[in-house]
Amino acid sequence: MDARLRRVNKEITDCKNDKSSNIRIELVGDSPFHLKGSFPGPQETPYEGGNFDVDIVIPDSYPFQPVKMKFITKVYHPNISSASGAICLDILKDAWSPVLTLKSTMISLQSLLCSPEPNDPQDAEVAKHYMTSKASFEETARYWTEIYAGGPGSKAGKGVSIGVRDEVAIAGLDPQHVTRFESLGFPRGQVIDVLRRLNYRGANVPKITDDRIVEELLKA
Amino acid sequence: MSEDDEDLEACRGMQQQEYEVLESIYPECISSQIRAGLLKLDVPIELGDPRPVKVEPQEYGSVQRNDRTPSESLLLSTLPPLLLQLSLPPGYPITGPPEILSLRAAHLWLSKSAQLQTKLIDQWQSGEPVLYNWIEYIRTGDFLSDLGMLSREDDTIIQIYYPAPHILASLLQAHETSSKSLEFAKNSYPCSICLTSLKGSRCLKLSCDHIFCRSCLEDFWKLCIEEGDVGRVGCADPDCVKAGREAKEEEVARVVSEEGLRRWRWLREKRNLERDPTIVHCLMEYCQTPVPKPADVEEGTGWERFRQCPKCSFSFCAFCRRTWHGPITGCPIAHSEKIVLQYLAADEGSEEREYLEKKFGRNNVIRLVKLYEEEQANKRWLEASTVACPGCEIHVEKNLGCNHMTCWKCGQHFCYRCGTKLQPADPYRHFSTPGQPCYYKLFDFQAEGAGRAEEGLVGIWADLNH
Repeated sequence: MDARLRRVNKEITDCKNDKSSNIRIELVGDSPFHLKGSFPGPQETPYEGGNFDVDIVIPDSYPFQPVKMKFITKVYHPNISSASGAICLDILKDAWSPVLTLKSTMISLQSLLCSPEPNDPQDAEVAKHYMTSKASFEETARYWTEIYAGGPGSKAGKGVSIGVRDEVAIAGLDPQHVTRFESLGFPRGQVIDVLRRLNYRGANVPKITDDRIVEELLKA
Repeated sequence: MSEDDEDLEACRGMQQQEYEVLESIYPECISSQIRAGLLKLDVPIELGDPRPVKVEPQEYGSVQRNDRTPSESLLLSTLPPLLLQLSLPPGYPITGPPEILSLRAAHLWLSKSAQLQTKLIDQWQSGEPVLYNWIEYIRTGDFLSDLGMLSREDDTIIQIYYPAPHILASLLQAHETSSKSLEFAKNSYPCSICLTSLKGSRCLKLSCDHIFCRSCLEDFWKLCIEEGDVGRVGCADPDCVKAGREAKEEEVARVVSEEGLRRWRWLREKRNLERDPTIVHCLMEYCQTPVPKPADVEEGTGWERFRQCPKCSFSFCAFCRRTWHGPITGCPIAHSEKIVLQYLAADEGSEEREYLEKKFGRNNVIRLVKLYEEEQANKRWLEASTVACPGCEIHVEKNLGCNHMTCWKCGQHFCYRCGTKLQPADPYRHFSTPGQPCYYKLFDFQAEGAGRAEEGLVGIWADLNH
């Protein structure tokens, strides 16, 4: 399949020569079929200022089968798994076309960050968060961009490094809620876990009784 | 040098220059022996956007023919070229026009060549080279209007008279096709799969106008056919992929091998059969032949359920998938209930419902649903208002009286409240033993569940006790 090699080489060169798209693709090892792509987070989104790395694997029957992509950088987004970086995007599945390139696919990822599709989620918990309170979701996404993608706030707070990451903010929760249940004697990690799972945010808060939470905490 | 000689010298120079210019603009349509003053022009007629062309039968003089051959209508963007043989006199372009030795159209479609010659000669003005104008005049088809070849009603229609319209029409069409493919083969196209630019002869333009190189399409389609993904054998453009635009048979035939084409046809047929909800596969395990719904069957006669395998002749019912039980006998209830439940579970107007309606016939499904609902209502009523005799299972409805029942059919004594058997010797013990669930409830029954009636009856019971 030297046609595949020729095309991939062409695509890599094309990306190198194109400075305007801001998309970089580099080899991971010696093989041109395992690559690392990266792009800046789109402007006017919670991802602005971050730099997002994507793991790219070119399958044997490329470009007739879709390229395999997943985020290396942790992203807080309804269509991206917050744990594995797996991406839910139609063109990476059945809407793939051999005409699509690494560059155009990366641009699609960029625009996925601009326009989440919470109705077709990859990460149900994040999607629920997005649907319950968009403002709170964006705050969390911004925090993730800051701590994982080198977003704007990270430089200012460089002295405060990895050790003191705010677990409550990572989970997109209200610190007061966490403290309240922590004071009942439950471990902090467990409280965060349960509140996140129950989507204890925004308009959902009055709907979930304290009893329910304690019950979940006791189960855990 | 005399003045004439000077003129001749100037003419030679102008002729030479004109020839060079024409050769650089129209390398394909000019050839000459310029020294002998002879020039051949082969001018294609390019109409740009396709125009309607009507080939009308030509009448011979005054002979009226009754069996007029019908005219032919076409849509063409080219007409076969005009061939001109010219001789350039030494005095051209100053003292005289080029001499037209012959002018004819390929396939002889132009009947008015004499008039065209006159028109061309008329364009010459002393001292002006005229050949470029001639070529353009012919190439663009402007002469058609001057020769009165446009329809009087609609001047976009070109009218051509010819003794046998159907013969000329097929020649014109063939010329159109070959000049289009020549044109396509001559140009280069970027293939967006291999990201290279290739000559048209190595590319294919699909019915959606997207162009790819054949070898990429072959790799693509071959893979899809091998994997059995017939739906992907189509245009590779992202929008066409989303629209599910599939390739035409002729396109597949031009790209993949004979064997690939055969498999593609087989896959497509299989897929289309699977899509057709009226198809049922023969129930014989060894056979499995797809059996279509008979075409001329009347809905509601019961025969719409009938299927006979064309291969092994096994006759069966498409509803319950059992041996044919005739048009009148209904399917075993269990099966039709499954269909009904599936139908009711789907939303109104949903694809699922449409599918079931197509598969079993709309009227049938509606009838089954109605039957089912009636049955369910009966069942609900039986459960709510009757109690089954524990001896013979017959359902009894009590309209008055106490809860001690004696079955009219089997003579069994039982309690109407809880349905347990009672001792015929002392049936009332059931209602008078403290701690029993029916203690004190000889007259208390929950049929209809009406609290008021119950209270009333309890009241009666109390009255009786007093």
